Amino acid sequence: MSEIDEGLRSELQRQGIWVTSMQELYNWGRKNSIWPLQFGLACCAIEMIATAASRYDIARFGGEVFRPSPRQADLMIVAGTVTKKMAPQVVRLYNQMPDPKYVISMGACAISGGPFKTGYNVLKGIDRYIPVDVYIPGCPPRPEALLHAFMELQRKIDSQKLTGSEKATHLDSTQPSEFPVPSFGAHDLEPPANPDVFQPPKIERT
Amino acid sequence: MIGTGILKGMAVTARNFVGSYFEKDRLITVQYPEERTPLAENYRNFPFLIYDTDDAEAGLRCVACKICEKECPPQCIYIIKSEDKKPDYMGKPQFYPAVFDIDISVCMSCQICVEVCPFEAIKMDKVFELSRRERFDALLQRKRELSKSNTYYHSICPTEAAEVDAKLAEAAAKKKPTPPPAAGSAPAAEPTPAPVI
Repeated sequence: MSEIDEGLRSELQRQGIWVTSMQELYNWGRKNSIWPLQFGLACCAIEMIATAASRYDIARFGGEVFRPSPRQADLMIVAGTVTKKMAPQVVRLYNQMPDPKYVISMGACAISGGPFKTGYNVLKGIDRYIPVDVYIPGCPPRPEALLHAFMELQRKIDSQKLTGSEKATHLDSTQPSEFPVPSFGAHDLEPPANPDVFQPPKIERT
Repeated sequence: MIGTGILKGMAVTARNFVGSYFEKDRLITVQYPEERTPLAENYRNFPFLIYDTDDAEAGLRCVACKICEKECPPQCIYIIKSEDKKPDYMGKPQFYPAVFDIDISVCMSCQICVEVCPFEAIKMDKVFELSRRERFDALLQRKRELSKSNTYYHSICPTEAAEVDAKLAEAAAKKKPTPPPAAGSAPAAEPTPAPVI
């Protein structure tokens, strides 16, 4: 897809002609109608509810329709502590969402296990099983922080390509859209992490 | 009677809807990226390190005593103490943290590091716009990002910062009559703080 020259575009706009590309139109439509899945896991969900209520009003970003069914949702906000008991259900809900789908990992517990990361019963980050697009640190994050993450996600959607080698994962038939659901093992979830999704880098302490 | 409850509710909605055209107070939505609610002075999010003067390296109050690292409940602080001593902004040789990392993807904003720090070196910040697309590197704050000036601390928590400054000035005044032992000796007793509580 050829990019439109910025100078030509603004010149045309001055003449009353608005030029766009299929990609821009597609991304514009998608980024302004992100419907989140309605489910909360812990105290971060209270902040998520506050974000949906009138003071912060996520509807200003096109995300007010919290869907009770994963079949109608585009975005999963993992808001709160994911216990090992709950993790298979979260992955299953993600698998049931239609493409394109996005994940926001909200709060310390959902990112890394947070204060419970040395415990026995909490999953140390939902990104062990499903790909996460935006992480929000905080315990819990402010409603504004969730809106900031929402805008970050909109920027990400806006920069996605429809064609070429760097096209969005939901358009690439070689990329998986469902991930194996972990099962309860004798001591831990089996497997403890999905190696296709979770590849932590070696952190240099310098 | 059946239906009166819903009518009352509708009346509230209608009053707010019509009233929003006439009264500013009824328009409560904060237009977030453009407009922000003022943060309370006691609001806190993640810790940061304070440095005095303009030099972020020499002015750093932290002497790598590792008390915060030990006390941190989720263990999100990682410190490597320096092998040598460097003169701080007062000219006194001090240990300094060679590495000071805070993993904000784990931090639970409990403020225990601030409470246990005997040098008033670590304080709570108010920055909350920290959403990132990557968790391991982007959410690990290193010494350079964590170091912020005392002037910045005054700008975010004026009352608390003034109290801290007064406390430090008092401790410095008490110490002053005996300058010779503080100059070079007693490296073993380094983590013992001045009588600052």
